Amino acid sequence: MKQKVKTSVIGSYPVCVDTLELIKDYFSERESSWTKYIEQAVRDMTTAEINFVSDGQTRDPFIQLFTRKLRGCRIRDRTEIVGHVEYNDPITVPDQKYARHLLPRNTGLIGILTGPYTLTKSSVDFFYHDEKELCFDFATALRNEAALLQKHVDLISIDEPFFSNELPEYAEELIGIITNGLSRPTRLHVCGDVSRIIPQLVEMPVDILSHEFKASPHLFDLFREYSCMKKMCVGAVRSDDVRVESIEEIVTHIKKAIDIFEENVVQIAPDCGQRLLPREIAFHKLQNLSAAGEIINGG
Amino acid sequence: MFSFTKEQKVFDISGTSIGGQPGMYPTVLFGGVFFKGEPDFDDAKRHIQTILDISKQTGTPTIPDFFIRKVEYIQPIISFIEKVLPRKYPFSIDIIEPSIKVETLELLTEKKLLSRTIYNSIHIGITKEEIEALQNNTPEMVIVVAFNPKNKSPDGKIEVLENGAHLTERGLLEIAHKLGIEKILVDTAALAPDENSGAAIAAIPVIKEEYGLPTGCAIHNVVEKSLWLNDFPLAKKTVDVASNNSIPLFGGDYAIFGPIENAELVIPLIAWQDILVSEYAENYFGVTPVASHPRRKLLK
Repeated sequence: MKQKVKTSVIGSYPVCVDTLELIKDYFSERESSWTKYIEQAVRDMTTAEINFVSDGQTRDPFIQLFTRKLRGCRIRDRTEIVGHVEYNDPITVPDQKYARHLLPRNTGLIGILTGPYTLTKSSVDFFYHDEKELCFDFATALRNEAALLQKHVDLISIDEPFFSNELPEYAEELIGIITNGLSRPTRLHVCGDVSRIIPQLVEMPVDILSHEFKASPHLFDLFREYSCMKKMCVGAVRSDDVRVESIEEIVTHIKKAIDIFEENVVQIAPDCGQRLLPREIAFHKLQNLSAAGEIINGG
Repeated sequence: MFSFTKEQKVFDISGTSIGGQPGMYPTVLFGGVFFKGEPDFDDAKRHIQTILDISKQTGTPTIPDFFIRKVEYIQPIISFIEKVLPRKYPFSIDIIEPSIKVETLELLTEKKLLSRTIYNSIHIGITKEEIEALQNNTPEMVIVVAFNPKNKSPDGKIEVLENGAHLTERGLLEIAHKLGIEKILVDTAALAPDENSGAAIAAIPVIKEEYGLPTGCAIHNVVEKSLWLNDFPLAKKTVDVASNNSIPLFGGDYAIFGPIENAELVIPLIAWQDILVSEYAENYFGVTPVASHPRRKLLK
C-alpha cells in the first residue's frame, strides 16, 4: 500500500514585527497594515512545500487572537471576562482570506480556532463564576466563526492544549458545538501529555486527532492499546527545541507512527505551533518535514 | 466634571506642575516648534515670547515641544533652547527617528539640560539603542504614547501600557520605570476619524483612574484628519483650537495642541475651560486650585 501523508502545520509561525514601522505609521497618520506578516508566514510555509498551511496566527498569541475580538472579554495582563461572551465580528476570517490568495494551487489552508476550554482556562472570570457556562458561550461564539471560516479553508483545526491538563466531563459536547454539521473536515489538536485521556480523545466529534508524538513518543505505545480508528496528525518535529531534526530522523518517526496507525496517518506536522522558535529554525524544520513526507509517500 | 477615586500624581518639572485632580492644577499646553521645513529660529523666538507672555498673564503653563527631524538640526535647536528659553524653563523634544533621539540625549547631557527635558516619547517602537541611551542620559520626564495598533479602544491603550500588547517585551510603563523614570505623562494616542478617534478622549479618565498618572493627548490631530472640514476653512480652525477643550473637560492634564502659532487662541481658551472646571470642582469636590491657576489669576 502506498502511503498518502500530507504535511501540515498546527498554527502559529514566528514573525518579527517591525514596531518602529507601526509607530511611524501612527505618527504619519497612516493606518498600519499587517499583511506583510501574513505573507512572511505563508511564504515560508509554501516555500517549504507544506501541503496544509495556516495564516501563521501572526497578530497575537492564540488566546488574545480570539478574546480580543469577542464581546465580554478585555485584555489586561491576561484576558478578563467582564460580560457575556458573544460573537461580534469575524475574527480570523479576513486573514484567512488574505492567506488563501497567496497560496499556490493544491496547497490547502487550515482554519484554526483556539478551543473553548483553553480560552476559558486562560481567562480570569469576573462575570460568570461558572466555568462550564463560560466554556459553552465560548464554544457558541467559536461555532459562529467556524461557520464563516469553512467557506474559505479546507480544514478546521481546534487547538485545545488545556485538555491534556484536565479534561472536563463535557469536553465531547463542547467540541461538538463547534464541529457538528460543518462541511469541512475537522481536527482536534491537543499537545502535552495526553496519555490519561486517550479513551475520551478517540470519541471526540472530529475527523483527525493531532498530538505531539515527537516530544512525547511514549504516546505511540499508549495509543496502540486502543482501537483508534481516527485519522491522525502525527507531531514529527519538536516546537520547543531549536535542534533541527534530520530528514532521516523524521522518516523513522513517521514509520513508527504508520506501524501503529497504518493508513490513518494522514498528516505529519510540528508538535505544536512554531511561534516561539527563531524563524530560520522553524523554516528549516518545515523543509525537513516536507522532505521526509516525500520519502514516506514514495517520492 | 468629576473627581478620581485613585490618588492622582502631580509631577514637577522646572517649576511647572502637571497632574492631580481636575480643578487643582492648570492644564499644561505643549506647542509644536519646527514641525515643518527648515527651522526658522527668528519666527520661533517670536512665538516663544508670545507663549511666555500669555502664560504669565493667564496662568496656563505652555511648554515648547521641539521637533527634531534631522541629525543636522540637533545642535542648532539645542543651542536655540539654551539661548532663547528662560534658564529654568522646561521644554520637550519630539523626535521619531531612534538615531536622532540617541544623539540628542547625549547632547542634552553634555549641555546639562536633562533636568528640564520632557522626552517625547517612549512607545512601541522603542529600540535597544534608545533604551541604552535613556539609561545613560535619563530625562526628568517622559511622555509614554499608549498607541496599540491591535486595539484602539481605552482597553487597548491600557494593554500596551501594562504588557506591551506582545509588541514590546515589557509594558511601556515598566520600560519607563526600569529606566528610573517616575515622572511619566501618558499620551492616549489620538487616531483618525473612523479609527476610534473618540477613544483618545474616553481613555483619559480611564487611565487616570487606573494609574493616577498625568494624562493627555494631541486631540487636534483628529481635526487635521477630518477631511470634510476642508469645506469649512473658518470652522476648521475653530474646531482645531476648540478640540483641546475636550481634554480638561474629561479630566486630562495636558494638551499637545499643534503648531505654536495657535498659542494665542488655545491658551486663553484652555484658561477659560480650566476656570469652568475649577469652579465646579471646588464647589462640589472641595478641590482648591493652586495659586497660579487661571481662576486665581484672571478672576480677581
